[in-house]
Amino acid sequence: MFRSALRSTVSAGIMVAAMATASAQVLEIGADSGPTGLDPHLITAFPSFMVVNGNIYEGLTAIDKDLKVIPSLAESWTVSEDGKTYTFKLRSGVTFHDGSPMEAADVVASVKRLLSKDIASPLASRLSAVESANAIDAQTVELKLKEASAALLSSLATIAIVPRSMEANKDALQKAPVGTGPFKFQEWQPNGYILLTKNEAYWEKGLPKLSGLKFNIVPESATRQVGLTNGQYALLPNIDAATALQLKGKPNVKLAETMDLAYTLIGMNVSKPPFDNPKVREAVNYAINREEIVEAALFGAGVPGGPLSPALKSWALDVKEFGCYAHDPAKAQALLKEAGVATPVSVTLKVLPRQDIKDIAQIVQEQMNKAGFKVELINQEQGQFIQDWRNSNFDMFASLNAGQPDPDEYFYRTFRTGGSTNVYKYSDAEIDGLLDKARSQTDQAQRKAAYDAVQKKLACTGPVAHLTYGTLFSAMNDKLKGYDVMPNRSLMMLRSASY
Amino acid sequence: MNRVLLARLIDLVLVLFGVSIIVFLMIRLIPGDAVAIMLGANTEITPERMAELNRRVGLDRPIIDQYLLWAGSALRGDFGTSLWTGRPVATEILIHLWPTLELTFLSLLLGAVLAVPVGCLMAQMRGNAADVTMRIGAIAGLTIPSFWLGIVMILLLSAWAPSFASLGYVPFSEDPLGNLQRMLLPSIALALPILANLSRLVRSAMLDALGQDYIRTARAKGLPERSVVYKHALRNALIPFLTSVGIMTGYLLGGAIVVEQVFAIPGLGRLILGAIAERNYPLIQATILVVTAGFVIVNFLVDLLYILVDPRVRA
Repeated sequence: MFRSALRSTVSAGIMVAAMATASAQVLEIGADSGPTGLDPHLITAFPSFMVVNGNIYEGLTAIDKDLKVIPSLAESWTVSEDGKTYTFKLRSGVTFHDGSPMEAADVVASVKRLLSKDIASPLASRLSAVESANAIDAQTVELKLKEASAALLSSLATIAIVPRSMEANKDALQKAPVGTGPFKFQEWQPNGYILLTKNEAYWEKGLPKLSGLKFNIVPESATRQVGLTNGQYALLPNIDAATALQLKGKPNVKLAETMDLAYTLIGMNVSKPPFDNPKVREAVNYAINREEIVEAALFGAGVPGGPLSPALKSWALDVKEFGCYAHDPAKAQALLKEAGVATPVSVTLKVLPRQDIKDIAQIVQEQMNKAGFKVELINQEQGQFIQDWRNSNFDMFASLNAGQPDPDEYFYRTFRTGGSTNVYKYSDAEIDGLLDKARSQTDQAQRKAAYDAVQKKLACTGPVAHLTYGTLFSAMNDKLKGYDVMPNRSLMMLRSASY
Repeated sequence: MNRVLLARLIDLVLVLFGVSIIVFLMIRLIPGDAVAIMLGANTEITPERMAELNRRVGLDRPIIDQYLLWAGSALRGDFGTSLWTGRPVATEILIHLWPTLELTFLSLLLGAVLAVPVGCLMAQMRGNAADVTMRIGAIAGLTIPSFWLGIVMILLLSAWAPSFASLGYVPFSEDPLGNLQRMLLPSIALALPILANLSRLVRSAMLDALGQDYIRTARAKGLPERSVVYKHALRNALIPFLTSVGIMTGYLLGGAIVVEQVFAIPGLGRLILGAIAERNYPLIQATILVVTAGFVIVNFLVDLLYILVDPRVRA
């Protein structure tokens, strides 16, 4: 009895070993935290986005490495003269992972699902301009807008197309996603791993090259690093400079880097003193030395940045255009005097619990204290920080925010009066006018002119002192080919990677 | 005997009821809102959508309703579903329970079992160089933080034996060898402080026992030294040892958060930590109840062991 049990255990072991060789092309990824769910219409956090975006699900459009909008499930599209009607021609021969064909009805169902109250999607505001979605025929979809929306095509890249059968289903996709992407969902061990396998019926012939992706959830940074150097993991996606520098030059490890879309910032509450006074906000900018922050907190891997990431080459202004970015504590003191506030100005700074942000907050505290402020740091737990942020319960906060490929996606909701993430309570008639105008324009030159003016005004007297844009790294085994790190942290390039 | 059992069972029910109320209130006292945390910082969302999301997961109801609803289904054996994934909480706990049970078993096996001979040896060699060395070792074992030890062991192993897969977890049923291979280092990291603690305890209890009159009598009878130490002295020294093992087992069953983080093991510690961070109320609630029940049950088993070891308790 015992011997036979032993024998079957041993043979099972051999079988497992054999299976391991057969699936040797499953890419082992070391991720720092696991997703809270996999429903693409419900998730917003990076750990979920990373697994789902471009791997399991696709949108009508996609964002490429240079942050340009490219066709994805829509092969092509046309926009009406007034910018209010978009007609999408769908790619033919696309199927979902459950075998059903992807057609116009699925696109319409996905849009409706996103906008429905029952699903309560936090992404709904990205389609707030959409009035209706209609299937013209099986391969053609028409979106009618209430008003022109210049960022629509870029926003659509993050709106996953799900099967029509899921339109009213609230729970199924959180556990078992069904998309059209190059990899399909196989297994999820909470706190362990998420396993995706190759979608054999993927519409782009010859892709994906890998037979699967395994996202191992490894919370400890030192452990991930060892896992990469000893070959247990082949990719550590989207890591910070400190980790990248430690891995630099290790045998069998190579690094890829790009300019991050995400930015570090100091947010100011303009609904109460002292930051209700634009001169005080300008003084903060003069007090801060951004080069020093890049050197000390980002280990030199980053650049000082304004309201838009330098990765947005066609939009961002050079920081030289912003006068207040010249570090000048004396000027800051003079501005505080002009503002008529009692110095030193006592304020609190709430800090997002991430090591890089804690480092940055300490440097900012030091710099501001030398320029007429008296800053008290408040280190908070994540949940508490988010709650205070949402309730505008702060003088100042230090944080890291994800950036967006189109300026409208960031500016409108953040700086427009009453915008959904305008926690600063900022309200400025000129900015509102410019943002409204740029949103309804489709002419690139006119939009650019409007956003130039917005950036200039926001940089010095806006409610946010933008600090830095870091260099975003990925570390990988040098046998991994064809993968590159993207500014928006998407891992969609894994479809063409091989190992 | 039956009366002891019954009394313990009543204890268990009372403790679980008390804990369920305390946990329920406490986790709701922590600032931070489950919906806001799920969405993360800087998500574009209107207050109306937030309210809809709250309704979706039932957090819009009054707190008393929420408790009664939860307690009602928990009594029927239904612990509800995880807030956002919709997975049954019972399944979620079961998945994370196995690695924790295994880790508890292995680290006790290494730590507690070794502690007895090591402690006896230290007592017998009292005062000489070997005793001093072992005592210094024990203090080191107590003071070295397990996360540091874990990372150092991973680093050393990856330098010496790069192909030895030491990270993550595979179930024993899938790959017994790979499972033991991955459990080795975390078990050592957890076992070392246990070994240090318990061997010191055994040492002092043994020294105490060895000074007693009955030991002198046993020696005077001409019993061999081994029999004196292991049969007469040890049995009496075991009571405080068992108490400590019981408490340690209770803690280990609650999950070893730090070691689980370092070695990427999906155990109860990480389940609770993650659940608290995302304010996953149903999951926190049930997991803590399971851990509490584990603690009470282990204590009960220790009480039974007392009876086995010490006939006086039986009376």
